[in-house]
Amino acid sequence: MGRQIVHRLVISFPALLGVLFLCFCLLQVVPADPAMIIAGPDAKQETIDAIRLELGLDRPILVQFFEYILRVLQGDLGRSIISNKAVSEELLQTIGPTVELMIGGLLIAIPLGITLGTLAAVKRGTLTDRAIMGFSVAGVSMPIFFIGLVLIQYVGFKWNMLPFTGRTGPVWDGGLPSLILPCLTLGSVLIGPIARLTRTAVLEVLGADFVRTARAKGLREYHVIVGHALRNAMIPVVTLIGLQAAFLLGGAVVTETMFSWPGVGRLAVGAIISADFPTAQGAIMILALAFLSINLIVDVLYVYLDPRMQR
Amino acid sequence: MSTTMDAAASGGSEMTRTALWRRLSRDRVAATASVVLIVVVLAAVFAPWVAPFDPYAINLLNVMAPPGGNNLLGTDSNGRDILSRVIFGTRNTLMLGLVGVVFGGLIGGVMGILAAFYKRLDGWIMRIVDVLLAFPAILIGLAVAAIAGAGLGAVVIALVLSTVPDVARVTRGAAIGVMEQEFIEAGRALGVSDFTLIWRYLTLNCISTIFVFLSLRFGQIILIGSALSFLGMGAQPPTAELGMMAAQGRDFLFMAPHIATVPSMAIFAIVLCANLLGDAVRDVLDPRLQQ
Repeated sequence: MGRQIVHRLVISFPALLGVLFLCFCLLQVVPADPAMIIAGPDAKQETIDAIRLELGLDRPILVQFFEYILRVLQGDLGRSIISNKAVSEELLQTIGPTVELMIGGLLIAIPLGITLGTLAAVKRGTLTDRAIMGFSVAGVSMPIFFIGLVLIQYVGFKWNMLPFTGRTGPVWDGGLPSLILPCLTLGSVLIGPIARLTRTAVLEVLGADFVRTARAKGLREYHVIVGHALRNAMIPVVTLIGLQAAFLLGGAVVTETMFSWPGVGRLAVGAIISADFPTAQGAIMILALAFLSINLIVDVLYVYLDPRMQR
Repeated sequence: MSTTMDAAASGGSEMTRTALWRRLSRDRVAATASVVLIVVVLAAVFAPWVAPFDPYAINLLNVMAPPGGNNLLGTDSNGRDILSRVIFGTRNTLMLGLVGVVFGGLIGGVMGILAAFYKRLDGWIMRIVDVLLAFPAILIGLAVAAIAGAGLGAVVIALVLSTVPDVARVTRGAAIGVMEQEFIEAGRALGVSDFTLIWRYLTLNCISTIFVFLSLRFGQIILIGSALSFLGMGAQPPTAELGMMAAQGRDFLFMAPHIATVPSMAIFAIVLCANLLGDAVRDVLDPRLQQ
């Protein structure tokens, strides 16, 4: 099991370098020469050259890239052009809310998606099955901002049931109401894909010998489905939920922007629109790292769930 | 001799094509979806003739008019006719999806075929694919918009870049299967050139798989593109683009909800039809891709 995980880590190393290189490039495109900005408008050429030497801007790009990696490893991501705060500090404040949102979305989507998918598989060919599948195709085709807009307009504004802008605090400190609508929005786009994947996986398992054996033993249908079929169907489902990580991440960026949720996604979007390159670079890096780690976690889970992989 | 070989190599595409049309026309859902899509595409192509008003004509005396009346779907905050803007917006949105699918499919397809045919290239190509896979589409979009500035171009690059790795993987998988067939060996023995082997023997046999995959991806690509536009990374005002129109309507959600809802529903309808049709095409052409 350990070897599998190490192997996976080795594979994600080039991807990690790619992420870092892209973020490094982001810093290179700052429209003005940083040395000229620091030196001021009337500075002599010698002063500018001296600053450039001091900043290491005259060295080859690969050396600069290497130094950039060293700085990132020390947690130094530069300063925001707009607020002049350290980017790492701003990121630390936004990671919590984003993780909160993602976990909340998954807590809504996974149980609902798996239940609906299993139900559709067990009732294959019936009206229930068709209704669930129709619902999930519609869910897969729905732009996430549409769901958000409808929730904001009705639940938030017209019926005045839940807050729909910002975050009032952490969940344990009265922040739950403001968390519900964003999580519902993010979760709802994931229900459809998860239900579809679960249905296929359960259908495949339902035809297996061990399910017939379980039925022949006289187990109750509920135990056959939940204890035997679903448990084995979980292996492909976990991998495929992992593939939805891109959905989750993209959805989080849109959701945060819509609900003014103070997360990494909104920070990234805001920074790009206001041309705050250091912040944009830091936020994009964190999002990409989050994506890599989600995939890594899924792979570990996969090994854990499927004993055949542990050899 | 070589004609029989060619026939074997590009085997039976004639037959699957008629079978495809027959089965698709029998599937009522798929038939409805394709009719709707054809109408939408025609409306988008002939937008200047179909749209009842100029999509960019501002009329400050008639802002936020509700649907019904003179403007069938109402007007936006600048008094522009929403139906006309949706028709023109569909044009831009469909274009995004199409460019993403075509260029992403081409680049990814070539990478996958080359990786399967030349074993030496396999490792390198798949390593590039792995790195590209590490970036979800929305992130690529954000990064490109940060580097090159927001605009339709940034979205197009993001959509192509995010389509390439998946297509490359699917194509490579299909092509490796074809490479094991005997007719490739036979073609080699006959001294057929690499180019002919790659195009006639390999690519033509993988095309249906690539096509099915792309038709399944089309809806998703449109969703990503409109999400990026919604975030302000794509089309800039006053250009009509569905995702951006929804974002503009967000500011007037409580006074005039139709400004945001109508373009969102248009995206939903297009993507839904594309997905339904994609599923049907997959069931006919390549049941193995079913997941």
